[in-house]
Amino acid sequence: MSNYIPTMGLEVHVEIKSNSKLFSSSANTYGMATNTSVNVIDLGYPGTLPTLNKEIIRQGIRACKVLNCNITRKMHFDRKNYFYPDNPKNYQITQNRTPIGTGGYVEIEVDGIKKKIGISDIHIEEDTCKSAHRGNVSLLDFNRAGVPLIEIVTEPCISNSKEAMAYLIKLRELLFYANISDCKMEEGSMRCDANVSISKTEKLGTRTEIKNISSIHNVGLALDKEIERQEEVLENGGVIREETRRFDDKIGETILMRVKETGNDYRYFIEPDIPYLVVTDEFIEDSLKTLPLLPDELRKKYKEVGLTSLQIEKLIANRSLNDYFLGLLEFKTNYVTAVNLLLSDISSYLNKHNKVITDTKLSYEKLVEVIENLESRELSNKNIKDLIDSLMETDKTLEELKKEFNIQNITDDSFINEIITKVIENNPDSVNDYKNGHDRALKYLMGQVMKETKGSVNPKKASDMLVKELNK
Amino acid sequence: MDKLSKEEVLHVAHLARISLTDEEIEKFRVQLKVLMDDIDKIKDVKDYDDEMMYTPIEDNTRLREDIVGEMLSAKDVGINAPAKNGSFIEVPVMINE
Repeated sequence: MSNYIPTMGLEVHVEIKSNSKLFSSSANTYGMATNTSVNVIDLGYPGTLPTLNKEIIRQGIRACKVLNCNITRKMHFDRKNYFYPDNPKNYQITQNRTPIGTGGYVEIEVDGIKKKIGISDIHIEEDTCKSAHRGNVSLLDFNRAGVPLIEIVTEPCISNSKEAMAYLIKLRELLFYANISDCKMEEGSMRCDANVSISKTEKLGTRTEIKNISSIHNVGLALDKEIERQEEVLENGGVIREETRRFDDKIGETILMRVKETGNDYRYFIEPDIPYLVVTDEFIEDSLKTLPLLPDELRKKYKEVGLTSLQIEKLIANRSLNDYFLGLLEFKTNYVTAVNLLLSDISSYLNKHNKVITDTKLSYEKLVEVIENLESRELSNKNIKDLIDSLMETDKTLEELKKEFNIQNITDDSFINEIITKVIENNPDSVNDYKNGHDRALKYLMGQVMKETKGSVNPKKASDMLVKELNK
Repeated sequence: MDKLSKEEVLHVAHLARISLTDEEIEKFRVQLKVLMDDIDKIKDVKDYDDEMMYTPIEDNTRLREDIVGEMLSAKDVGINAPAKNGSFIEVPVMINE
């Protein structure tokens, strides 16, 4: 059974971030009340004409850049004709013959091996309305009708489900960081269809298409299951039909939806309502100006400031912390300590209060001061835990907070001396052991000092003072 | 006279999501063939240029600024719909065709 070679290609649709829709000025937002983000163009009323949104073309150009595609300089749109109630015009406006981008790639790494996943094209098209099926009727919400999409189509070059998942993770990261899409699969702003075929020879087998897989994890499961199903069919003497299937994650199987209409049946022709679009060098340059640093560029930068791979990946996985940290690089401080704080106490605080860091009052100046205090041991890690809520929620300076939390007293020499004197008095045996050269006794005495101060004293300072006192 | 095959007519009917009686199928076998022959004549035009046929305008398409404009109320969205369900437009179910 295992001598079949699977070949897969992925088609990913992502909703593009913009204020208004692709061909109309209705709002491009998610979560609006049903049928309130709609105008006559979205409803395909007779006599209406589409007008192309400049920002979507800019976003398409940015997508070409981050996916290493060639940018098409003269393009047009096409009508894809089909009858279905999700599209009242009876055609979808898409790019069939002149996609905005061609010939790109995304580099992935699976089990330590790097591979370029070829992208045959990326094209801009409009989304359809959202339909919910209830018994004998379907309910239509046109808020999504006309929302801008880019479809990213890979070459049939994916060899297994691990590569497919790695590609999707990388693609999501790139488009998210480039501010092209928020890529939320659970909200449908990123959707994945997969084409799967198996063959014993170099000639590709008949492919099936699995539609609308709801998560990256499910893409992995669906592909493995579909390969298994096709192997079984062929081994039992059957043939694979060109058909559309869906993945049911409850039963873990792909299920037949319909036998596919062939490409010609969509009767593509050039959209006559939108003249040719020519993009100039200036327009491209201008569109790319706002492109932020991409994840691989960030990885390189963070490595240079001394972060570990684990810290880098954790930071990049959290966009708001990442953007905050990127701003911190303008300040001179210990970045490793900063990341440790961001990923531990600060993350705990944010998770607990369901906030992002920009919702808090932790200015860069305040954070830099905290780091300085940690380095000079004027603050302990325990102090941070006590102070974190106030650091995040108030405008008070660190000095004010230290006073408020009595942290001044703890670093105060006379307070520490008092404790040390008490510990020395209560532990004469250990003091003798220390004087006789037993190093472990010092550790024990230091432990007693920390216990007395409930761990809030500056340990280095206390240790220095203890040694001084013992050597008197 | 040449006619389309019954299957060809049924295929076109399927794409248009309409059902035809036997009588209609026979009628369209002839009528669609006449239409298609006319379209073939257009294809025979010498120096047929895709771009020229597409648009006589040489100007670049005008791009719209990304600004949100006026929208309809949910009530107006459904005003011409034969059936509604709350703010939704209701249509006969169309899945797993």
